[in-house]
Amino acid sequence: MHSFLQNRKIIFMLVFPGFAIFVFAVLFPIGLSIYYGMTDWSGIGSLNFIGQENFKNVLQDGVFWISLKNAAALAFFTVILQHPLALIFALLLDRVGGKSEKFFRTVFFIPCIISIIVTSKMWVNIYNSQYGLLNKVLELLNLGFLKQQWLGDPDIVLFSVILIMMWQGFGWALLIYYAGIKGLPEDVYEAARIDGANSFQTLFKITVPLLKPVIMVNVIWAVISSLKQMETIYLTTNGGPGNASQFLANYLYIKAFNSYEYGYGNAISVLFVIVCLITVLLLNRVFKTEEY
Amino acid sequence: MRNNRKLVVLLLAMTMIICIVGGFNALAAGKVTIKFFSNLPDRTAGMGKLEQFLIDNYMKENADINIKVEALQDEPYKQKFRVYTAGNQLPDIFAVWGQPAFFNPIMSSGYAAELDPDDYKGYDFFPGSLNGFSYNGKLYGLARNTDFMVLYYNQKLFADNGVKVPETYDELITAAKAFRAKGIAPVAHNGRDSWPTNILYQDLVIKESGDQELIYKAIQQDIKFAGNEELLAAAEDLKELVDIEFFQDSFIAADYGAARNLFGQEQAAMYYMGAWESGLGSDENFSESFRNNVSAVAFPGMKGEGKGKSTDMMAWNGGGYAVSSSSAVKEEAIKLLNYIMKPENWARYAWQMGVAIPAQKYDQYMTGKESKLQIRLSEILNNATSISGTPWNDAATPGFKTDSQTIIQEFAAGMKTPQEFLEAADQAAQKAQQ
Repeated sequence: MHSFLQNRKIIFMLVFPGFAIFVFAVLFPIGLSIYYGMTDWSGIGSLNFIGQENFKNVLQDGVFWISLKNAAALAFFTVILQHPLALIFALLLDRVGGKSEKFFRTVFFIPCIISIIVTSKMWVNIYNSQYGLLNKVLELLNLGFLKQQWLGDPDIVLFSVILIMMWQGFGWALLIYYAGIKGLPEDVYEAARIDGANSFQTLFKITVPLLKPVIMVNVIWAVISSLKQMETIYLTTNGGPGNASQFLANYLYIKAFNSYEYGYGNAISVLFVIVCLITVLLLNRVFKTEEY
Repeated sequence: MRNNRKLVVLLLAMTMIICIVGGFNALAAGKVTIKFFSNLPDRTAGMGKLEQFLIDNYMKENADINIKVEALQDEPYKQKFRVYTAGNQLPDIFAVWGQPAFFNPIMSSGYAAELDPDDYKGYDFFPGSLNGFSYNGKLYGLARNTDFMVLYYNQKLFADNGVKVPETYDELITAAKAFRAKGIAPVAHNGRDSWPTNILYQDLVIKESGDQELIYKAIQQDIKFAGNEELLAAAEDLKELVDIEFFQDSFIAADYGAARNLFGQEQAAMYYMGAWESGLGSDENFSESFRNNVSAVAFPGMKGEGKGKSTDMMAWNGGGYAVSSSSAVKEEAIKLLNYIMKPENWARYAWQMGVAIPAQKYDQYMTGKESKLQIRLSEILNNATSISGTPWNDAATPGFKTDSQTIIQEFAAGMKTPQEFLEAADQAAQKAQQ
């Protein structure tokens, strides 16, 4: 066995397929993106090499920063609202047990298995100012003064779309917490009960600390998907009004494919990858220092 | 190992046989296949139906021709079109928009085949309708329709509420206020798409100045958007329209279908849209009451010296066709294009089926069976004393299109003042000039 793994040919054969996939599916496209990012290519016809011009312009582009800020807002609300809620519901689900546990588990997960096109269009209709459910319900409850132009008002549109995205992602967050809770060892809880711990103490001294790896994975995932957000925005507001609800992936798509500024779009995508990498590094560091 | 090798050999042999047989089949049939890329996915109604009808007729008349149609909605069409151009694999004949923002890069990069203007001498295209399909004096495509903006309105809603159909701009404002007071949305507008708002702004510029060239001069930066009184007056008009709630609530978030349905379901009194909606009066999805009561007026003009009248119109030639310069069956594709666009084909059927107002002379094809709306639209066009040409957002680069559409949306959503909007328009124009 030892000599088998020392054979260079065998090592090469084992490593090569994975390495080749990584090179062609990840490194090569990123390299190509960097190259196109340094050109003024429109996507059609000839291109000129213009060096770092695009990258400089992206960093001075107000919309780039608005998009980043919006992604940060989405990540923030997901982490402080959606995740605690998902955790609480996962705990409650675990407590309920029996048939209702299965039932509610399915109900919570339904939004995640419906196509994003369907849920996005459904929300566009719910938010509609003329016939939308939300404004109608507010009217019925005598709360007419709360009626809003949910997707038309630049001041609230971001919150409206954040709510949609949190709703769409809630099932996943809940499922991961639920799976984590199901995997916790029963004996620790038994010991806590014998020691006379109340349920509040059990939650904060046992469940949450034991769930830390799950929370970490879930939070990193939530932050990264906030940065990558594209489909829901494209289908609801397309970043509008103006760029009030713009996100990076949607913006780079508009630049590359509507404005025919393919080079510029690539420059955004390269900076986008860098932002994602930095975020993951930072998050890993945050969670690492808290490990014990 | 040996078994595996046999299997591979067998597979390769079978693939080869299939290819050879397939090849022989194609040769035996002796058919020429023309790939047709269309932006009209509904092949059972409207212009898509007409396009398919002409394609089927052509195949009947030419047994050796096989036409393979691929059709997508506008936006997916544009995306796939880009993929095709990037790979230099454009289908043999394809739909285009004869506007600089879309067609200029295609013509200048040599993707479209040059057409011979002599072929179209008897085709009776309206003067100027092929301008957007020409580059450096050479012709690369043919226009399908004449597009112009009108104010569709619901006669019943006007009559029931005692509101006068507007003939002047002031009456339009009065009518809008009257409908608002009764809780009816005055005008259905798809602000999410932005381009209708761009077009409305240009219409207001025409009505404020009586000068069709003014906005194009500003795009060329011969004059500044921000320094011009009439461009500012039109921006202030647009702001006033938003302020008096001229459009339905949350119009900024409404897409094409939402605005169209609002009008069709008689929830809005008017609808500012192009003549390509001439089928509204026969759309079975809407009630009979609506279909009987839909009519149109030209967008009203302003009173006063030097101001534009309702006959100074927003009109242009948008959709059309071109042939790929790298097509292996270029000659056949051009023949097909010429067949489709013959006046007795496209112009005649487009008018008689009521699916569009052609870009060619069509009065010889009047039958007397036209719908009221069709006749009305035709009258409006015939009364035009001046027409604009390409909408300003489409009149420069693709980047200018995105920028001008973003800033008009910001302006309509109240995120920019008229002055800020004009300054942003100057910036976008300067960028486009570079």
